Amino acid sequence: MGIDQPSQARIAAAVRQYEVERFYYDEAALLDAHRYEEWLALFTDDARYFMPVRRTRMQRELDKEFTQPGEVAFFDDDKMLLAGRVAKLQTGRSWAEDPPSRTRHLVTNVRIVADDGKELRVESNFHVYRTRLRSEEDSWIGSRHDVLRRIDGSFRIADRKIFLEQTVLLSRNLSNFF
Amino acid sequence: MTPTTTDVDELVSLERGEVDRRIYSDPAIFEREMEQIFGRAWLFLCHESQIPAPGDFFAAVMGRDNVLVVRQKDGGLKAMLNTCAHRGNAVCRADEGNAKSFLCTYHGWSYGIDGRLLGVPGHKDFYAGEVEKNRLGLTPVAQLASYKGFVFATHDPKAPPLEDYLGATGRLGIDLIAARGDMVVVPGIQKFVVDCNWKIAVDNLFDWYHPQVSHASAFRSGALGPPPERAGGYEQIDMAGVNMDSGAGIDLPVGLITASKFDQVVVIGEYGHGIGGPTASSSGNVEVDSSWRAAAHARETLGPVGVEVAGHPSIFPTTWVTVVPVQLSLRIPLDPTHTEIWWFTFVDRRLPPEAQRLMVMMANRVFGPAGVLEQDDGENWSQATAQSRGLASRRVKHLVNMGLGRGRVVKEHGLARIEGLTSEHGQRWTYHAWAQWMKGTSWEALRAATTPGDLL
Repeated sequence: MGIDQPSQARIAAAVRQYEVERFYYDEAALLDAHRYEEWLALFTDDARYFMPVRRTRMQRELDKEFTQPGEVAFFDDDKMLLAGRVAKLQTGRSWAEDPPSRTRHLVTNVRIVADDGKELRVESNFHVYRTRLRSEEDSWIGSRHDVLRRIDGSFRIADRKIFLEQTVLLSRNLSNFF
Repeated sequence: MTPTTTDVDELVSLERGEVDRRIYSDPAIFEREMEQIFGRAWLFLCHESQIPAPGDFFAAVMGRDNVLVVRQKDGGLKAMLNTCAHRGNAVCRADEGNAKSFLCTYHGWSYGIDGRLLGVPGHKDFYAGEVEKNRLGLTPVAQLASYKGFVFATHDPKAPPLEDYLGATGRLGIDLIAARGDMVVVPGIQKFVVDCNWKIAVDNLFDWYHPQVSHASAFRSGALGPPPERAGGYEQIDMAGVNMDSGAGIDLPVGLITASKFDQVVVIGEYGHGIGGPTASSSGNVEVDSSWRAAAHARETLGPVGVEVAGHPSIFPTTWVTVVPVQLSLRIPLDPTHTEIWWFTFVDRRLPPEAQRLMVMMANRVFGPAGVLEQDDGENWSQATAQSRGLASRRVKHLVNMGLGRGRVVKEHGLARIEGLTSEHGQRWTYHAWAQWMKGTSWEALRAATTPGDLL
């Protein structure tokens, strides 16, 4: 596709890119506003939410850097467990988040790598910044590999894999979402 | 402060059940711990199932020493310091993997997987062939041993053999995993840093007083299991009439509150090992399936006391075993106020894949930094550590006096146990042992000082 020749296909691709990015910005806004139930509703009922354990490996063994689903993970949730986490935050007794952490989710480098008409595979980068109490600060940068399903003119997250740029997690917990 | 023997006795009072808070932040005390505890104790490195093939290695930590545990060609194990004999650089920078040799990337000295120095670049031209290769391998740990596949090492050549060090209490702690079946570690060791002193993370493992409050949100929300609405409903914690700001009490699913009041058993052993928590037959046992305890092998290995233990074993100083989920955790001190927590997760290789998958899911869900239980622990530990730094705050004693003087020690089947309700016997025993270790006495004297008496 030449860049100097606008076409229907290129315009459609641009609109799709815009819609996906817009979806992510709205999602990030929900998380930063602690509107977790609305955030949860962005996931399909069969969704998986996975954050593997990462290990420093030599280059020749880099295929073993991340654990796989079924192995040990920081998150390996279905929708029910994700809902349990959201319910936990709303009990008023979830001490690690009361007083609530302050978070800001930045989503960037959004790339649609596949689209079969029903589902899109989207890779993006994120920076989740958290401060807590007086002077506690956490910063997580990583990538998300999502499957977004087209439902009712919008998207639902059918699968999310979160890859952090840390091996030893440099924070005391993961009481927030990515 | 640099503590002397007398000072150590003032830091921990077994009689009053009090601990001086300086032990959670004082750098001089931390340095002495590195020497007297982490320089002497047998420390858990890894499980043999993690490194099955020759050349498989796992990078472990002993105090502040980085150690490589390596499977040998003859099937044996070696553990050596991860530091080049020449100028100190690490010879391996991966967390785990398989290696044919270890190469120092500074000047190219290379070592076999057994630690022998194989190659020195310029050996003939620059060193005139005079490098004593036989003398300059990677430094092995003083002692290395495996108990039922659980690999430990010590820096102290005079330390008693591993099985003696573990004693009946420590061995039972490991048997509570090993006797379940053909246990292997699942890929993925969770590692994370909590800004707390390591002892606060250790004393928590005996603590069956905190779950009802610390973990109220997990129990209430159904994040751990079926929501209470679908189980037995709620009941109120006894907050002695004092409720939260909102006016609400803390209500929890039926069973959990009473669980902490039900039968508990604390086992205490030489060198400071201990086990604390509910008995297997009490309603406080949260094991999903206890049927493994009925197998002849398990009954025989655990013995009549051990088979009833469903609490948390602690192998002094930093190894924690949990039977639900089946995991082993390390609390690795980084500095006085930072601790790295590692989680090893086990499954029984004989179980069907689906059952193994459930064991892993349970572990992922409960513990680790995102675990619905553990995510609320760190802040308590961090804040308790932080308050041990204030000039006035640190003069307030850390209390471990629940059940003080009421723990009658029953000695049967080689184990010393205390039965009763929720208590702080386990914590008291750990801090008592800590103080004895810090005195730097002989192994014989240490053993004598950490042999259970008749009352705790």
